[in-house]
Formats: sequence, C-alpha cells, structure tokens
Amino acid sequence: MQVKQALRSWKPWVGLAFLVFLLWVPASEIAGGYLQTLCFLTFLYVTLSTAWNILGGYAGQTSFGHATFYGLGAYTTTILVLRGVPPLMTMPLAGIIAALYALMWGYPCLRLRGQYFAIATIGVGEATRLLMLNLDDLIKDSELLKGFLQEGVLTGGATGLMLPTPEDIKSYAVGFYYGAMGLMFAALLISWWVKNSKFGLGLFAINMDIDAAETIGVNTVYYKNLALMLSAFMVGICGSVYAQYMFYIDPQTVFGFPMSIAMVLMPTIGGIGTLAGPVLGAVVYIVVQDRILTANLEWGAFKLSLSSLHLLLYGGLLVLIILFEPKGITGLQRRLARWWKKAGTRVTEKRTA
Amino acid sequence: MGVLIRGEDVCRYFGGLAAVNHVSFEVNRGEIFGLIGPNGAGKTTLFRCITGVYQATSGRILFNEKDITRLMPHRICVMGVTNTHQVVKPFMDMTVLDNVRVGAFFGRGWVSKEVKDATKEAMRVLEFTGLAPRAGSLARNLTLPDRKRLEVARALATRPELLLLDEVVAGLNPTETDMMIALIRRLRESGITIIMVEHVMRAVLGVSDRVMVLSFGEKIAEGTPKEVYTDPEVIEAYLGKSYAAPQDQGNSAINR
Repeated sequence: MQVKQALRSWKPWVGLAFLVFLLWVPASEIAGGYLQTLCFLTFLYVTLSTAWNILGGYAGQTSFGHATFYGLGAYTTTILVLRGVPPLMTMPLAGIIAALYALMWGYPCLRLRGQYFAIATIGVGEATRLLMLNLDDLIKDSELLKGFLQEGVLTGGATGLMLPTPEDIKSYAVGFYYGAMGLMFAALLISWWVKNSKFGLGLFAINMDIDAAETIGVNTVYYKNLALMLSAFMVGICGSVYAQYMFYIDPQTVFGFPMSIAMVLMPTIGGIGTLAGPVLGAVVYIVVQDRILTANLEWGAFKLSLSSLHLLLYGGLLVLIILFEPKGITGLQRRLARWWKKAGTRVTEKRTA
Repeated sequence: MGVLIRGEDVCRYFGGLAAVNHVSFEVNRGEIFGLIGPNGAGKTTLFRCITGVYQATSGRILFNEKDITRLMPHRICVMGVTNTHQVVKPFMDMTVLDNVRVGAFFGRGWVSKEVKDATKEAMRVLEFTGLAPRAGSLARNLTLPDRKRLEVARALATRPELLLLDEVVAGLNPTETDMMIALIRRLRESGITIIMVEHVMRAVLGVSDRVMVLSFGEKIAEGTPKEVYTDPEVIEAYLGKSYAAPQDQGNSAINR
C-alpha cells in the first residue's frame, strides 16, 4: 500500500529520471566529457560535504581542518601506488590512515569547545600542510626514516607527486565516474543511518548541550571522536579517489585551506545538520564555481574576470546565509513551503466565504 | 533500606575558597533527602561532585558501596545517578520526545539498539510526567514549568536509582509548585531515592524525610524537617527570625 501511494507522487519518478540521466552521462558525448567531469567532481564533493556534516552538522563541531584528511588520503594512495601497491587496495588504507590521524589530533582538540575547537582545527590544518611541504627535507638526514624515501622523494615537497596515466584514459575515467557515484550513495546511506540511529541521537544531544548530554549518560568524548574518525575516513577515501583521477597532487591543492573552507561552505549553503543540505550545497558550490571560474564581465571598456573574485563571492554568500537563513537552502525551502501553504489556505478561505 | 549513597569528608576547593568543606552524609534507599542553605552554601557544588561534573578535592563518595569519586559523569549516570540542572538545559532544537529518548537510550542498563524501543520507553516516561501531549513540540517552544518537567523526565528516562533535583520548583507559581511536588512524591513511590536542593521551604520541608543544611560549605545541621527548622543555628544562618515561631505553630512555617 505504502509503495503504491508513494508511486502516485511525482517525487520518486523525478528521482528515477535523474538517476537514469546520471547513469547515461558517460555514454553520451555531450560537451566532450565536460559534463562527465563536472558530475564526477559533484559526486566527490557531495561525499566530502556529507562526511563533514556528520561531525560539523550532527555533532556541531565545526572543523576547518578537514583538508588534512583529504590530503592524507590523496598522499597515502599516491605514495603507495608509486611503490607498486594496486590502487584499489590503497583506498581503504587511505581512509584508515586519515581516521587514525583524526584520532591523533581529535583527541586533544575535541576537548575544546565551540569556536575554540574551530580555531584549533585551523592550526592543525596549516601545520599539516607545512609538514607535508617540508617532510622530505626533514627526514632525508635521519637514519631511521631515510628508508621511506624513494629516489630521495616521499611527498615531493612543493612540486607534488605524479602518478603514471593509464593507456585507455577514457574508460578509466568512466570507471571512476561510476565509482564516485557509488561512493556518494554509500556516503548518503551512512549519513542517513547515522541520523536515524542511537549514534546520531547522541551526536545531536552533544550538539545541543554537551553538559546535559554528558550527565544523562552520553559518553561525549567517545562519540565526538567516533564522529570525527568516521568523517575523516570518508574524506580520506575521497582524497584517494581524487589523486587517482587527477594523476597529480601537491600540498597546496589537497592540504590547502581553500579545501577545508570548501567543506565548511557546502553544508552551510545547503543546510547544516540535514541529510539533503550537504548534497544541495555541494551541487550549488560546484556549479557556481564552474561558472564563475570561466566567466568574464564586460561593459564597454570595463572588464572584470570573476575567477579572481570567487572567494569574495563565497564570503558574501556565507554572510548572507548566516544572517538571514542559517539553515541554508533546506531552511529556505521549508520557509517557502510554509508560505505556499499559507497562501493556499488563504485562497480557499476566500472562496468559501 | 540500607545506605544508597555515602559521602565521606567531601571537600571541593576553588583556589583558596572552600565551596564544600568536609561534608559527610548518608542517604538511605527510598528516602527524600533535602539539601538547603543560603546562596553560595555549596549545594550545587556538592551535587556536581556527586554526579562527577566536578571532582572532589578530597574525600570519597560511595554509591552502592562503590567509589564513584573520580568517575566521568556519563559513567556515574549509567551506574544509576542522574541530576537535573538548576538552569534548565533542554536540547533546544530537539522535540520533547527526542530529548527524553536520549535519556532512555544512554541511561542505565539499556541494551536494545532499536530506536523504536527507546521511543516506547520515552513515551512511558512522558506519560508518567504528564508531558505526553507536548511530545512533538520543540523543547525551545516549551514554557518554563514544562521545561522543568522535561528536565525531570529526561533524567528519569535514564532509570536512575538516585535522582538529584536541583531547584526544580524555583520560579514556578503555587499551582505549578504543587504539581511538581506531586510528581516528586510519585517518583519516590516508584522506588527512586531523591536528593533535592530547594529554596522553597514549602517544597523541601513538606516532602523531605531528612534535611541537611549547608552554610559556607559546611554542614551546620541534619535531621527531620521539624528538627531542622527549629534549630537556632539554622534560623540564624538561613531561615531568618520569622521562622523562629513557637514550637506549636511550627507547621504553619512549613505551609507558608
């Protein structure tokens, strides 16, 4: 009965049509694979955004250091692949190493509360980036750690690392397209499960009032660290996928602060602490980014390249969201729905009168 | 009967200030134990030492003969000691049901991982406390009396053996106070031992079996309500001269 009723609504059909469209994208040749790359990046960013949301949205611990996990995942995969480990095997490892690193800095940092935790994560993020930038120099004279270098290189410093490109790059990319899509759905499933489980209830309680949560039996230290580790695991795998897809990584891209900011921005745009919010936010983020980076404004002699302004735009957007609709797009949608309903009842009232 | 919780020479210092100074107490199973005293006497601090929010500087607290002095609050809760907060701390953006469900899920002796079992338990507690009609509202939309009630419901959902009530009557009007007192009596009937901090004498002297009086961190009196409110030292330190009525009018003092 319930299924039958659900099928009468338009929503599942639109969803299905959209899914078919996504599955069909690689088979089509529209825009010369441009759409495929855009969709791939969207899948990846939806996963990142969803992962961040588990800690930042559900548990309410705003982390500006999630790029550390992304970068660590990317570097783990690249370093291992360069040493002959099969790429797919490196993916869970990338996740695990990111999660262990999360525990390492999460355990001390999560003792801090609210904005103090956020500030600490900025420090951790930058420290990690600098460490990766200088790691080769640091260990080249150490008898103990020298063994990790391969032809004098472990992380490659500022020049980064290259992976060999496969011969049939087209089918390789298609494989990753579907892989990233699966990853996204897995992330959404995890996020949905967390939201509707005991674990999620504990995280929400921590988010609302950590002292009250602690006194009614929630092991807040354990839950916060678990949330961070789960989040880091997912982000680490994304980093691994990114490295395998791009064949080139450097600390500035994968460990850079803009990456961390992106992971904060997406759920904030879409709606923090909801299931759909991070998805909507990531889609908006990717599409806007794509449009902006290639857009130019021209009025006669006045020319402006927007690519240099995109961070300004995001900053402005963030201010607007926090001021007017802290729940992001999902909040806006709810508000519109309420308004719509009200307008509807007003019309029927008039008619009956 | 028998002793449920025992404090031995509990001290808590904040720098040089002795907020709780060598306080010993025993609370029997099934008792309502009142804790009164002027502002800053160390009542809430003592509560926090029991629940593990603060650690006692020295001394020991034994619950069911087990030392809980150095345990984390969530561990103490799972053992069966829960408190309510003087300044209510509901999970604002959660529904009343969800608030109580957290308690049910994380409290003492809970094994099921099923959300619907926790929901059932939470609903049972909401019925008991009379909050069931508000189950679907967000905690932030509750009035103060309902928030106080929610505070009790959420603590109750953790199935405590010992419930610490920190000024659950403060700020309520006389009718609401009566309802809360009735609830406290029903809690005791269901077998829960209660320690309550309260400034409203009518509430604390009316329901307590025994009362302990703190002043400047030290215990100055302990006994039945009648013994305590006729104690000259207690009148001097806390109750004030108006309570120093002749013995035979003592009951009117309780009922004011």
